[in-house]
Amino acid sequence: MRREENVLDRMAEWCEEIAGRAGSRADVEIYMQESRGLQVRAFKGQVEELRYSHGMGIGIRVIREGRLGYAYTTECDWQGVRRASEEAIHNSRYSEPDEHNVMPEPEEVSQDELNIYHPQVKEWEASRKVEMALELEKLTLSFDSRITKVEVAAYADGDSEVFIANSKGFKSWYQTSHCHCYVFPIAEDKGEAQTGFAFDANVKPESLDLERVAREASEMALSLLGAKSHPSFRTVVVLDRMVAAEFVGFLASALNAEAVLKGRSFLAGKEGERVAGELVNLVDDGLMRGGFGTRPFDDEGFPSLRKELIKEGFLVSFLHNSYTASRAGTKSTGNASRSSFREPPRVGASNIYLLPMKGNREDIIRQVQEGVFINQLIGVHAGANPVTGEISLGATGHRIRRGELAEPLREITLAGNALNFLKQVVILGEDLLFLPFEGSLGAPTMAIEGVMVSGRG
Amino acid sequence: MVEEDILFEVLTEAMRRGADFADVFVEERIVYNLRLEEGRVQENTSGTERGAGIRVLVGETAAYAYTNSLEKPSLLEATRAAAAAAKSGKNEVISLENRRRLSSPWYHPVEEEPLALSREYKLELVSRADMAARGAGSKVVQVVVVLGEGRQKVLVANSLGEVAEDERTRVRMVVQVVARENGEAQTGTESPGILGGYELFKRISPERIGRKAAEQALTMLEAKPAPAGPMPVVIANATGGVLFHEACGHGLEADAIHKKASVYAGRLGQKVASELVSAYDDATLPNRWGSFRFDDEGVPASRTPLIEQGILVGYINDRKRSMRDGVPATGNGRRQSYRHLPIPRMSNTFIAAGKTKAEEIIADTTFGLYARKLGGGEVNPVTGDFIFSVTEGYMIRDGRLAEPVRGATLIGNGPKALMEIDAVADDLDFDTGMCGKDGQLVPVTTGQPTLRVRELVVGGTAEVI
Repeated sequence: MRREENVLDRMAEWCEEIAGRAGSRADVEIYMQESRGLQVRAFKGQVEELRYSHGMGIGIRVIREGRLGYAYTTECDWQGVRRASEEAIHNSRYSEPDEHNVMPEPEEVSQDELNIYHPQVKEWEASRKVEMALELEKLTLSFDSRITKVEVAAYADGDSEVFIANSKGFKSWYQTSHCHCYVFPIAEDKGEAQTGFAFDANVKPESLDLERVAREASEMALSLLGAKSHPSFRTVVVLDRMVAAEFVGFLASALNAEAVLKGRSFLAGKEGERVAGELVNLVDDGLMRGGFGTRPFDDEGFPSLRKELIKEGFLVSFLHNSYTASRAGTKSTGNASRSSFREPPRVGASNIYLLPMKGNREDIIRQVQEGVFINQLIGVHAGANPVTGEISLGATGHRIRRGELAEPLREITLAGNALNFLKQVVILGEDLLFLPFEGSLGAPTMAIEGVMVSGRG
Repeated sequence: MVEEDILFEVLTEAMRRGADFADVFVEERIVYNLRLEEGRVQENTSGTERGAGIRVLVGETAAYAYTNSLEKPSLLEATRAAAAAAKSGKNEVISLENRRRLSSPWYHPVEEEPLALSREYKLELVSRADMAARGAGSKVVQVVVVLGEGRQKVLVANSLGEVAEDERTRVRMVVQVVARENGEAQTGTESPGILGGYELFKRISPERIGRKAAEQALTMLEAKPAPAGPMPVVIANATGGVLFHEACGHGLEADAIHKKASVYAGRLGQKVASELVSAYDDATLPNRWGSFRFDDEGVPASRTPLIEQGILVGYINDRKRSMRDGVPATGNGRRQSYRHLPIPRMSNTFIAAGKTKAEEIIADTTFGLYARKLGGGEVNPVTGDFIFSVTEGYMIRDGRLAEPVRGATLIGNGPKALMEIDAVADDLDFDTGMCGKDGQLVPVTTGQPTLRVRELVVGGTAEVI
């Protein structure tokens, strides 16, 4: 740990030095991130791409009398930091003062074993990881004769170190590792092509289940062969847990206190109100063992914690960082978040998920009897508006008839308002799954009644 | 940024270790962002980033490694990491006599250099946009103005001995407006950008950008839920081009073609669209947001015909795919930064102007949807199925624009929709965007004239019509 302690001590000294230059009562924070990774893509039994990445950078946040300035650099020595700090100080002169621009007071962070790092990602030779991508492609292609191609079969991993120090005396660091694999197979039959997708993710490569990924992705592609549109009707939709997790990602952006305070969320002003069916419990847990979004502290050094956001259908909390908490007159929920050293901390979920209830996919489809099962959404970024709550998305899936999956569907849309969707949640399953892309989003299979499904025919 | 001799030492090392081809991409990027929200500057960020990426091609494999350090030892270390994938046993020596600087006739002059302008001036620009948006009406409750500028210097050298340099200055302003009435919210966005400097605001004033975003949000407050079902759709010029970009353009990119993961694979010379449709990808258009002088593999920018009078005539190529298939590179090898491998990407992609007047197309439509502004969308390149949100839409009744509608999406199939275009107007215009693919974002423009698709499925919340 000697190296890490040294890095932190140096960063703390830099904070002091920069605070001195910035003038009286300035707060200074230095965020440093170093990450390494390997990505492999297999195509037709060969390695199509092999990418090694190793990058580091520093972001400097200066708050002078409530004025925020930020600058970043990839030159991580004092010379680079000094130059960037001058930019940050200069930028702060042009921001307007806001008393809520504050850095958190240093607090004890969790010493629990969070299970977010495993050295295997570093220990395994690249050749072993290459084998995983090749094996995933092979397993997928051999699943069924109608799986004619694999568009992408990939393995990727990385490990990353985050260091934060500020002039209030906080200094700490952590290390994470992750790996994942995914495959996009193409199924063809009678001149028609359909795609599928599945993934697995873990802290260490040996835990990845290639066979399951190959099977699930292939099954999805095969099941869509022969898909057609469907006449428009209002019905019960059952969302596959991957699709339900994407919906949770949409909710996360509306629960972001920054969006709420600035009138950019359909959930603004609804704290304490019933916003969902009584089955709905939504939780954000930054300390979940082994979670993809788990960290001992958030991206401005505030301790991570678990909090309920929606409880039995009532909206009980938003996601806060120090800034939004100060504005709302509450405490940070440990949700300061930044995508990299290139930006100051904003707000983001850690591991956000719908609490699972009972039953697997088959049980739920049987219970529903008549409706539509959705296994892929198209246009989540375009067709779901967290400001208005309006949702209008393309989808693929199956008709549910007499409690079983019937004919496959494509060129259909789901449309409605997110609040109505939430209030019309009638079933939540037990099969919780986390999507590790764009956060850590979890949901079980779920059913929503009264959804407008449009198509032609 | 780095001496040429060092770059060739790196390339020599890569070739010595068995590469068929190697290149090195060196980048320096200086950015500045100003974000005004709630009438106040809330974020003010600058950044400097340097890095280099080394690519080694061996057979079908592209190996890549990057570093933030531009010192020789780091560059050589990255080269060895990338070359470790090369097992061909070849041991080629590159001839350094062939070293040459490439030229490109396509310049994109910068009139008002961002780095020469004061922060006061930039602050004034965002304030003016903010004021104009707020001035559009009391129902405007939130305005966000983001002003972004960047200067990217790029140096590419490869094992053929070619060296190319490009410098790309880009400026963009994004205004997002939320309007609210009776507890209901609607949004409007306007986001012009330029490969160039602050002369952008001579072409479109900050006031106009703010007002346009506000007007869109205010119009949509009046809107009724869109009906659902199949109907003729007239798509307005400029932003409508995103539909072609997503539903056809991505399917013409050589990586999708090579993997036969595109409905357009193997269809060169065939009819893929109505004869009214001609389409191009053109990175040479002066100062367009998606333009450049050289692509990120050092290939000069070019104008590439994709579809001519309905016939598929070309694909969008990068170097790797063109070397393998023995076809000319089209100058479309692009990457987000030194951290990324170049892949085939669009630049400025558009459907060419036709001869009809836009008003005539509407007058000729008895009933349908007029999509004035499209938001984002997604497409499945394998099937060609797409979905787009209509951020500003109106019903067409008896040949006239009628009430605004909200929550509409267009859903359909790319190849089918292209065949069903039955009118193309003469009002070609462009819009800017950031296009994502394989986790990489690059600036692009999309463009089209007003056109009509005979039938698309409109997804809406109102009951079936």
